[in-house]
Amino acid sequence: MAASIRRTGVSQGSNLKTSFHRSQQAPVILRQQSSGGLLARLHLSFQGGSDDFDALEKLFFSCIQSTDDESALLCLERLTQRFGSSNERVMALRGLYDEATAENQASLELSLKRYDEILSQDPVNLPIIKRRIALLRSLSKTSDAISSLVQLLDATPTDVEAWCELAELYQSQGMYPQATFSLEEALLIVPHAWNVHARLGEILYTHTRSLEGEAMHKQLQLSIRHFCRSVELCDDYLRGFYGLALATSPSLINGTLELKHLGSPVGKDTLGSLHALARRRLEQILSTENSKEPHAREYDENELSAVKKLLSEL
Amino acid sequence: MALQGVEQTILRDPALFYWILIPITVVMILTGMLRHYATVLMNTPPKPAATLAESRERLTLLRAVNLRNHASAVLSKESFEMRKNYLVTGFQNGAFLKDPNGRGQPPANPMTDPAAMEGMMGMMKGNMMMMIPQTLIMSWINAFFSGFVILKLPFPLTIRFKSMLQSGVMTRDLDVRWVSSLSWYFLNLFGLQGVFGFILGSDNAANHMAQQMGPMNPAAGANPFQPGQDPHKMYLNEAENLEVFEHFCILDGIEERVLRKYVAGEA
Repeated sequence: MAASIRRTGVSQGSNLKTSFHRSQQAPVILRQQSSGGLLARLHLSFQGGSDDFDALEKLFFSCIQSTDDESALLCLERLTQRFGSSNERVMALRGLYDEATAENQASLELSLKRYDEILSQDPVNLPIIKRRIALLRSLSKTSDAISSLVQLLDATPTDVEAWCELAELYQSQGMYPQATFSLEEALLIVPHAWNVHARLGEILYTHTRSLEGEAMHKQLQLSIRHFCRSVELCDDYLRGFYGLALATSPSLINGTLELKHLGSPVGKDTLGSLHALARRRLEQILSTENSKEPHAREYDENELSAVKKLLSEL
Repeated sequence: MALQGVEQTILRDPALFYWILIPITVVMILTGMLRHYATVLMNTPPKPAATLAESRERLTLLRAVNLRNHASAVLSKESFEMRKNYLVTGFQNGAFLKDPNGRGQPPANPMTDPAAMEGMMGMMKGNMMMMIPQTLIMSWINAFFSGFVILKLPFPLTIRFKSMLQSGVMTRDLDVRWVSSLSWYFLNLFGLQGVFGFILGSDNAANHMAQQMGPMNPAAGANPFQPGQDPHKMYLNEAENLEVFEHFCILDGIEERVLRKYVAGEA
């Protein structure tokens, strides 16, 4: 469990392999539900059938991801049967299905038009607003997506998901200060999310590359601090240590650096030992992962090879 | 007074057991379940915000609370000051209000506002669902079974329990271990929670469905304002809280902390 949580970075898409595996079970799960006897159905309705529909929704996503459109449609129909086609979430799922099965640009544009129509009737249909933004993004209308996302966040400033998405979009446009701000807002809502801390560190680190002088040092130190926070919150968090090793690499630190801008000054020795610590930990993770069977590994192949590359380069 | 050390014996008709103890228990369980489902049926979920501006009015307050609670864990001094200034000015000049021109006016009478009215109706329905069955059953028990001693507890109790276990039976000398029918009703009323949990899944099993297909973002439906409260006043209050908030940053000295943590782990 911890492994699967740890793996889920913000920028990382969901793991294709597992979703494929899950969606392969779709026919089994779907059949199970339809052939249940009266007793089982009674039992389900007695329990409120709570995880049932949750699971169905997840199954839907998995099927969409692995292009099993038939099973996805079955899931969708079942959800529609239960909650009605006017339910906001079902509407969004229906839209998602249409987008996924769209064959060309034109039908995607059509979906967009349909969303606009829905929103003109009900401007607070949050799931549809989000779908519309995602669609704008996949149509590579990034600036439109950003402006609608900003509008959405103006109305719902406590939505972590949206803040993270906004940070992603800003980063893709190279607007690092804005991305930093958005991720900070997300962290204000979930202050213990170590993956978001690491993500913020990464954005700050990337930003340092385009800065010079004092501003750069400040950013670098902030980035190091966020990486530190992420490994403090989650033991042996690979991404956090990776960033820490990168941000404290001697070539950066030994430049002209005097890190004393943020309150307490941090000596070069501390940074040096942080770097050594991060390297040690990364090597350790690498060796334990390599000793495991491939399917029992906590991290992806490409993550591990990235670590290997980093260690050889530093 | 009852004689010390001497067991009080009362000859009870065993039919009392079958015709009073068991019926009361069964009726209590059944009404409990009935009430549960009736509540589910009559329960209306809190209304989500009708416009984006309304949603903003509600959630900005939560944002400020979040800022106050979590700023120390995330933000550096400058970023905190920036956000604080933004929120405080916004709160003070009413930029986040649904209707910025309406600030300072007395809040609308909750009786004329249909939304507030609905909220109050919901509360009243809930109370009624509790009160009516209880009154009915209690009067039923009073009418049919008052004054019966139906059960003897297998363990001794202190005299303080007398009023709890023997309501309806005015006998001074009766041992505390005897339980009257009316008291059995009360014991059931408060003691059947576990049984209901077992039968109905968990306490809120019924509410799950409403949560599940509710809005994507659960916080979006929550309304921090009680009916009849003036949002502007709450804002001013929160602005004051933000003003006096003393910021510190737990990211200060985190480098040493992490080193210490991991080096200690390695040693």
